[in-house]
Amino acid sequence: MIQKIVVKTLIIVIGLFVISCKHSHENNYHTVTDKIEAKTVSPENLTITSKTFNENIKTVKFAEDGYEFLIPERKSQITSYNCTECHTQPIEKLKQNQVGEKAAHWNIKLAHAGVEIMNCATCHSNGNMDNLHSLTNSEIDFNYSYKLCSQCHQKEFKDWKGGAHGKQLGGWAPPRLSNTCVNCHNPHKPAFEKRWPVRFNTQKVKERQ
Amino acid sequence: MKTLKVFGNLIKDGFLEVTHGSKAYHVWMAVLSFIMLVGMYSYSIQLEEGLSATGMTDRVSWGLYISNFTFLVGVAAAAVMLVLPAYVLKNIDFKQAVLIGEGLAVAALCMCLVFVIADMGGPARLWHMIPVIGVFNFPNSMLTWDVLVLNGYLFINITIPMYILIMRYQGKTPNPKIYIPGVFLSVFWAVGIHMVTAFLYQGLQARPFWNNALLGPRFLASAFAAGPALIIIVLAIIRKFTAFKIPDTTIKKISMIVTVAAQINLIMLVSELFKEFYAPTHHSISAVYLFFGLEGKTALLPWIWTSISLNVVATIVLTFHKLRSNLNILYVVCGMLFIAIWIEKGFGLIVPGFIPGPWGKIAEYTPTLVEISVTLGIWAMGAFIFTILAKTGIAVELGQLVYKKKN
Amino acid sequence: MNNDNKKWYSLNLKKSPKVDSCGCGNDSGSCSGEKTKDGYDQVMNVSMGRRAAFKKITAGFLIGAGAVSSSCSVVSGDENKEKSGIEWEEYFKGNYKLMTDKEKEETVNRLTRSYELRTGEKINMTSKDAEKDVLFGYAFNISKCQGYMDCVNACVEENNQDRATEMQYIRIHEMEDGKGFNFEESDDNYYHEVPAEGHFYMGTQCFHCDNPPCVEVCPVQATWKEKDGIVVIDYDWCVGCRYCMAACPYDGRRFNWKTPEVPEQEVNKKQHYLGNRLRKKGVMEKCTFCIQRSREGQNPACVEACPTGARTFGNLLDPKSNIRWILENKKVFRLKEDLGTEPKFWYYMD
Repeated sequence: MIQKIVVKTLIIVIGLFVISCKHSHENNYHTVTDKIEAKTVSPENLTITSKTFNENIKTVKFAEDGYEFLIPERKSQITSYNCTECHTQPIEKLKQNQVGEKAAHWNIKLAHAGVEIMNCATCHSNGNMDNLHSLTNSEIDFNYSYKLCSQCHQKEFKDWKGGAHGKQLGGWAPPRLSNTCVNCHNPHKPAFEKRWPVRFNTQKVKERQ
Repeated sequence: MKTLKVFGNLIKDGFLEVTHGSKAYHVWMAVLSFIMLVGMYSYSIQLEEGLSATGMTDRVSWGLYISNFTFLVGVAAAAVMLVLPAYVLKNIDFKQAVLIGEGLAVAALCMCLVFVIADMGGPARLWHMIPVIGVFNFPNSMLTWDVLVLNGYLFINITIPMYILIMRYQGKTPNPKIYIPGVFLSVFWAVGIHMVTAFLYQGLQARPFWNNALLGPRFLASAFAAGPALIIIVLAIIRKFTAFKIPDTTIKKISMIVTVAAQINLIMLVSELFKEFYAPTHHSISAVYLFFGLEGKTALLPWIWTSISLNVVATIVLTFHKLRSNLNILYVVCGMLFIAIWIEKGFGLIVPGFIPGPWGKIAEYTPTLVEISVTLGIWAMGAFIFTILAKTGIAVELGQLVYKKKN
Repeated sequence: MNNDNKKWYSLNLKKSPKVDSCGCGNDSGSCSGEKTKDGYDQVMNVSMGRRAAFKKITAGFLIGAGAVSSSCSVVSGDENKEKSGIEWEEYFKGNYKLMTDKEKEETVNRLTRSYELRTGEKINMTSKDAEKDVLFGYAFNISKCQGYMDCVNACVEENNQDRATEMQYIRIHEMEDGKGFNFEESDDNYYHEVPAEGHFYMGTQCFHCDNPPCVEVCPVQATWKEKDGIVVIDYDWCVGCRYCMAACPYDGRRFNWKTPEVPEQEVNKKQHYLGNRLRKKGVMEKCTFCIQRSREGQNPACVEACPTGARTFGNLLDPKSNIRWILENKKVFRLKEDLGTEPKFWYYMD
């Protein structure tokens, strides 16, 4: 009798285990990468858009090397554009009248690469101040200043085009609108500055005492 | 209908029985009631303020409540393991012990359930866990398994002794064909509740301290040491204060179980320590914290070393037949073992699982007064329940409580 | 908010025709888009019916005990009546995951109304479901993070986190160069000028694992993975056992040890039921990728606040998204990959 009972109980216990084995096979994919690969859709079928979040930003189009996205328009953001409104004459003719007189743009200190490598004229054109110019002296529009930066910063440029460098504005959903170089970096002083973190958690300190 | 009437009478007689007793009994019950009231008051504070009234934090998110819960599951499981030799191997000696054991299991289970409820952030929303009305995440969540097995176990452990008592109460002999299958089931179940509770922790890949295969077996071993050790102490007390006769041989047989379990437990402890410290990895940090402290944080050191020394001394003493046979020594040793395992399987297991946190941060845990008094209150409740059950049970067994046909 | 609101203190929970909608992450079950009812739906309907019965029974007891006197009493004002009616309905509502669209709308309306009754202010809460063909992912550039913690600030403000206990979903770990990703020795609560010399910064938060251990362990399914991959919590269904917290290997979850406090003028009124709506004591919460923003197409607050562009968020199923480009072109890695949790949160370097 004892044996019978033991056997019966065993069967019940085993049965319970078998029944309760997970039956939901929600994850048909081995890894999330497999899942992404399998479920990728063609971009045209995506309906959600972030347009509403970008409405107030004036943009221009970036289209190079098969990448296509929007970047903020720049010229309207520069306070005293056009430059030629003041700079009616070429730079040579704007010599200081007296020694010690403040130069225009006196507050700009160039902290970008070394003095031997860069000065104002590396980017700004002597003759036509409304535009920038490349190393080989072809004109570059202020709206497309990334062309200037990408001359040296090719790796960053590549990452930026792809989306690994820089910052997307508004929403994650298409159309993509990404900050251009000068939206984050001051071209005269491109490095980020040291500063204090915006907050300190006093509770954590207490907790870990 | 008749059974119901008998049952009603048993409750009535039982009530009379538990409200009458010696002065010592009344003092004992009054003290327990007082502690329970203090615990309830503390719990009301906790309900009002939220769990911030306890010492738990986001870092150590389970504390004294869950520690005691884990330990008591072991006690509940072990108490019933005594059933096996008593009923099946026809070992008459054990029968009295078993009744006490099942009473102990019921009390321990009640404490378990109350500890879990005390630990909940939203006890009012617990109905969400009721199958059918709420959503019961079975079988994915081990916690739902635990709810099932604990309640099932409680049910079994109430019905079997109840059946036996009701039969005895009427002066009949209980029919083994009815209760033996239940006894068997409860023995399997006892292993089940303990393994499931171990799996609760063992299944978490996030906590390497718990995520080891030895946790379940070690739970069992330590439970079979601590549970019967408690039974020995309780039997000694009952022997002293009541007319209930418990022969020395019963206690000695139980002490044998305690000895073997304590020895196995010690071997497993050594195995675990070896694994953690012979080739320490990233995952050994919790163990380092537990045994040696980390970065000057040493709150658990005195506890765990007390536990280990008590454990080792008790096991050695138990191993020697001569020492074990001396009942006075045995009681002391059982007390030591019980405390040792309470520390080791309680907060010695739960708290280090959280330290260091997933990102290596160390925040220590100190229970607050509220938490401690709730815990004491629940223990008092357990003792209270057990006293009532044992007093009624003993009275029935001794034939003091007999069903009187009134017409 | 129409004439329906009278129903709040009637105890009837009329069964509404089941609309095919379910926020679960289950692609093969009822969410398949087909209108066929499978076992899942049926169980759900049954449980709703039973819950209504349970509610009525409890109501019977409580009315007997006078506990709902306020909702039935003639003396107390209409507003009080309405308030306790809402509380009553809210207490007995089901799990959000299993709600029909109508039920979702009703509970959102109740919560909005309840907030209005309490503070006199309107909030804008939605229960927007996951978009089709969207799976959210996140990338973090450890070369770019400077440790300013602007993201932490933005997160706290966006998600109405408890100010009193300074709850924060995001942790920024300051790591020493040359020591690898040594979290033990890193500092996640620094306060000095950053970036500190010889250090780099690494942010952690909920990683929205594709195989989330926290979801598995929840005894009441109060937390689950949505179709778009966001792991969410139904704050009203959570019982506060904190098992998920123990199961999370990434310290992604937070518990409300006390009633959270957010000053009225700082409350973000644009809310989502599964996102930043105000929580109560005794429930879990965590990062939801700002579900109230991301489901609309917007970036989470942390991404928007980051001044260095270290954070990228996007749709993993869109082959033209930035996040996809990062995954395909950068050397990405995830934390504790050996645990098999499949986080949807990648790290990379320049």
